[in-house]
Amino acid sequence: MSETPLLELRDLHVGFRNEKKKMIPAVAGASLTVYPGQTVAIVGESGSGKSTTAHAIIDLLPGTGKVTGGEILFEGKPIKSGDRKSILALRGSSIGLVPQDPMSNLNPLWRVGSQIKEALVANGVAKGKAADQRVVELLEEAGLPDAERRARQYPHEFSGGMRQRALIAMGLAARPKLLIADEPTSALDVTVQKQILDHLDKLTDQLGFAVLLITHDLGLAAERADHLVVMYHGQIVESGPAREILRDPAHPYTKRLVSKAPSLASQRLSSAKARAEVREQAMQTAGEIVSELQDADEHFGEVPNDVIVAENLTKIFKLRGAKPWQSVDFVAVDDVSFRLRRGTTTAVVGESGSGKSTLARMVLDLLPPTSGTVKFDGVDIRSLKGKEQLQLRRQMQPVFQNPYASLDPLYTIYESIAEPLRTHDIGDGKQREARIRELLEKVSLPTSVMKRFPAELSGGQRQRVAIARALALEPEVVICDEAVSALDVLVQAQILELLNDLQAELGLSYLFITHDLAVVRQIADDVLVMQNGKVVEAASVSKVFDDPQEAYTRKLLDAIPGAGIEMAV
Amino acid sequence: MWWYIGKRLLQTIPVILGATFIIWALVFLRPGDPILGLFGDKPASPAVKAAIEHQYHLDENFFVQWLYFLKGIFTFDLGDDFRGQAISTQLQNAFPVTVTLALMALVFEAIFGVVLGTIAGLRRNGWFDSTMLVATLIMLAIPIFVIGFVFQLFFGVKLGWAAVTVGGDWTVSKLILPAVVLGIVDLAYTLRLTRTSVAENLSADHVRTARAKGLSPGLVVRNHVLRNSLIPVTTHLGVNVGGLMAGAVITEGIFNVPGVGNLAFRSIQQGQSTTVVSVVTVMVLVYVLMSLLVDLLYAVLDPRIRYA
Amino acid sequence: MPETTTSPTRPRPGQERFVAAIEETPLQAIDAVDVGEVPENQWREAWKRLRRQPLFWISAVIIFVLAVVIAFPGLFTNADPQFKQLSDSFAPARDGHPFGFTQQGGDVWARTLYGARASVAVGVLTTVLVAVIGIITGAVAGFYGGWVDTILSRLSDIFFSIPLLLASIVVISVINNVKPDRGFWLSVIVIVLALALFAWPQITRQMRGAVLEVKNLEFVDAATAIGATRFKNLTRHIVPNALAPVIVTATISLGVFIVAEAALSFLGLGLPSNVVSWGNDLSDAQNQVRSGQHLVVMWVPATALAITVLGFILLGEAVREALDPKGRKA
Repeated sequence: MSETPLLELRDLHVGFRNEKKKMIPAVAGASLTVYPGQTVAIVGESGSGKSTTAHAIIDLLPGTGKVTGGEILFEGKPIKSGDRKSILALRGSSIGLVPQDPMSNLNPLWRVGSQIKEALVANGVAKGKAADQRVVELLEEAGLPDAERRARQYPHEFSGGMRQRALIAMGLAARPKLLIADEPTSALDVTVQKQILDHLDKLTDQLGFAVLLITHDLGLAAERADHLVVMYHGQIVESGPAREILRDPAHPYTKRLVSKAPSLASQRLSSAKARAEVREQAMQTAGEIVSELQDADEHFGEVPNDVIVAENLTKIFKLRGAKPWQSVDFVAVDDVSFRLRRGTTTAVVGESGSGKSTLARMVLDLLPPTSGTVKFDGVDIRSLKGKEQLQLRRQMQPVFQNPYASLDPLYTIYESIAEPLRTHDIGDGKQREARIRELLEKVSLPTSVMKRFPAELSGGQRQRVAIARALALEPEVVICDEAVSALDVLVQAQILELLNDLQAELGLSYLFITHDLAVVRQIADDVLVMQNGKVVEAASVSKVFDDPQEAYTRKLLDAIPGAGIEMAV
Repeated sequence: MWWYIGKRLLQTIPVILGATFIIWALVFLRPGDPILGLFGDKPASPAVKAAIEHQYHLDENFFVQWLYFLKGIFTFDLGDDFRGQAISTQLQNAFPVTVTLALMALVFEAIFGVVLGTIAGLRRNGWFDSTMLVATLIMLAIPIFVIGFVFQLFFGVKLGWAAVTVGGDWTVSKLILPAVVLGIVDLAYTLRLTRTSVAENLSADHVRTARAKGLSPGLVVRNHVLRNSLIPVTTHLGVNVGGLMAGAVITEGIFNVPGVGNLAFRSIQQGQSTTVVSVVTVMVLVYVLMSLLVDLLYAVLDPRIRYA
Repeated sequence: MPETTTSPTRPRPGQERFVAAIEETPLQAIDAVDVGEVPENQWREAWKRLRRQPLFWISAVIIFVLAVVIAFPGLFTNADPQFKQLSDSFAPARDGHPFGFTQQGGDVWARTLYGARASVAVGVLTTVLVAVIGIITGAVAGFYGGWVDTILSRLSDIFFSIPLLLASIVVISVINNVKPDRGFWLSVIVIVLALALFAWPQITRQMRGAVLEVKNLEFVDAATAIGATRFKNLTRHIVPNALAPVIVTATISLGVFIVAEAALSFLGLGLPSNVVSWGNDLSDAQNQVRSGQHLVVMWVPATALAITVLGFILLGEAVREALDPKGRKA
């Protein structure tokens, strides 16, 4: 006795027409089955074809996308991509969609309530007053407090998490049998992500709809789904029961994913012993430099153990108030002190708005603090001017978050890495080229990329170039502001390994800004947990992970997707 | 919201003062004695000359003259021109014609621009879109006075459908042809703006979400594409009213419309400085007022601004 | 939710464990550099896109022909554009004079060919001047902010509020009074200045907006952290990256300025009547329109003008398409 699957894809092929009118395949032969009430997850990196597969089901492929082969069956009946009428009948009422980016998926000109009401009216669920009433119920159901008032508000009055709840209410408005959730929480903070996914789980149990969850996060998928489908370059490489795949991945790609997923891995990349050696070496080199510099001046004998000491850093931004002459103080960073020990990594963790990036900019002397000091090797960085300031810049370099914005698109890779050398008048043309070759090798890029422009490189490759540029001046400290957050899991793991190796090789100290606690465990020695501009907990990594003192830290740890899953590794 | 309006109002003050001052300065930099012209070939007696100079504040210094002028603007007592005709009266006669003309042109370009632009945007890269692209390029390339001539020749002289010129006793129907000519260049801009805006919105995320909700294609376009697309178009149209009135200088010349443009042009040629400054000031006021109005309209159309 | 008989350990049909054959799904190196491609930056890529467009080639042909006409008008006619003979008034076409004569007996074709110089000179010079003023003021206002920005922005508001055509009419009429007799270049310069004086705010605003956007990008911070000075940052990183939209506007406005010059001449305020220009010829031709006779004196310069403007508008369109940020996907 077998029941009819709710959704079945049989050998689905999707392609996009490029500028030269050629079909470029995006999905090649995807087959999967979803049963009523089941949660099935498609996991893959960007470009794997997971979202394209989802959009093909409801015939909402962007641009020139087209289903080029295979079959889509809903409740046993085929959906034809040309048949507008029957697809229209399915959308909303049988298949709902929760889209990826809550910021762009609500029409900014309409009240949230009326956008949900539209779905009710269009699918013939309710009309007029009854529909208004239903909208409020739906918003409440999606976990939005004060729903009646919220329904009358506009999207820009909602936070990201609230918008995503509204989008869930919208997707479920006409009680579909299948909900396609396309990376529903990847734009949100981890704690909000957890809340929303927990709520969605609850609704699934209550209402019995099936979910097709699209995600890049293996841990999240395994935690939420019964059945897992792993996609890679447009193809399905492995599928089966979620836990089974996680416990015993068979395809080499899945193996890779399982071993590299930050939320599942729990090890520091290098051992404690190796790290101690690194630290010692860093102290030694720094000591040599200092003794060279201080030959004439005797009272600096020893190198301070802490390369950066920040004391009582505070940054207050003045925001415009409700009336033109008023201003509101916004405390972005509130009395933060920390020490970065030489040759180690201190991670600053926090959700959006915690002030972690503002802190990084103050340490880099890109932003003057309202009060407090940053001392580099015992010298207040704000007291330096001209040549001395330039000297400081040499010793402290940043790697920023957005791989698309951190390199000037009009500069070749060569020019980008040469810029610090030129600015500091280091070497002649030949020496610089040799140095750039050496740096590219260090970050494992072929020297042939020198003539390339950033647009031709992938995000991970650009981050490597940014690291090479940062290393060009042989700094002591590298400040990584969300340096790996925008990258795919495997690339992220690769860059983290690189950073780790470089630290061992060059005795670097890192200040590592991130929102992702899972990453922290892989790279950091000490952790600073920030919330609303304040440090809530500061301790060593093992302490924070094994014995968190503060509720907020526990909440963050708890929210790491897949944290509770037992691993076979 | 009220603070927003207040701030915008405050911002217009330096613009009005600055703009009138620039025009005023330009006109009064102009050498030559305007009074001498009044006397023709006869020599003017110094006493009479002094009296006239005093009457027009020509004996005061530059700044004081400007202040007198500003006072005139706000009391709507602009004084007389050098031939003794009240400038206010001249403006009062000319203004309604030009306003009617500009509004007719606006209606013309708004209706055709939005409708054709929407169709082109919805069927992007189709044959209609391509046709419209060529049509707008041609409209933009042909100078307005050539279009004016051609229309005058074709509809006026050859077909006799419309009056060749308008003249002193203007009527709305006589203004149709000049209004079409005046609106045609901007029609091209409006059409293209609408097209781009519609095409862009069509691929917006929230439109895809609206489709996924199960809305019919018609509803999606009406509720989620058109309304969002028309915001920039409305802004453009509103700000452009001032542009249309200024552009009327040429159209009014071709069709001999007794409007502000004609008045400005005649005054420049006759050296009636005060009239010129008055006319340009009125144009500036219209522009400033319209941009203010558009900003407020924007706030009505876009809730994000309203609560900012 | 329907109850199923399948036990949880036994997957349901279609959900059995599946592992793709490794030969069919080969594992690729993580984030490997594609060595095959040729390096290209934004501008070179834009040029590639430009070359693909028919619009660009049409405009290139128009502008090329125009350039030849301006450089060597004698190649296309033997007649003297300034020579007039009243006995030839409205005389029809004859050998060497393909379009006949104007009211005053000038050769229509020769006057049109020689008239190109004035129109294009005004268009190009005004565009260059406006672009230079606009780019500098816009970049300074956007980058330095504060009171510099406030002053420049208010100033551009003021100049923007005065209608371009009307304002230039006033300026030119003032100068006409001071110095009515001007040679070719002086007349051109007067018009250029009159137009540029009121046209710069558009570029300023656009440039300011673009600079504001670029100046917060991370590569600017990275350059600061390296130790680049503010000024170096502005000239080396920010301005080059903010130029694209301004170039599009400037190209399109070239055509607009040519039309404006013709309109001024048409009103008798452009180039003096002794200068051969399309605007002057069209101004002379307006009497013929009302009578509907000898229309060739209007058609020929009007067509030349329209094709010229079309050439520059098409170029602007093509450049816009080539620099379109949406087309510049990473």
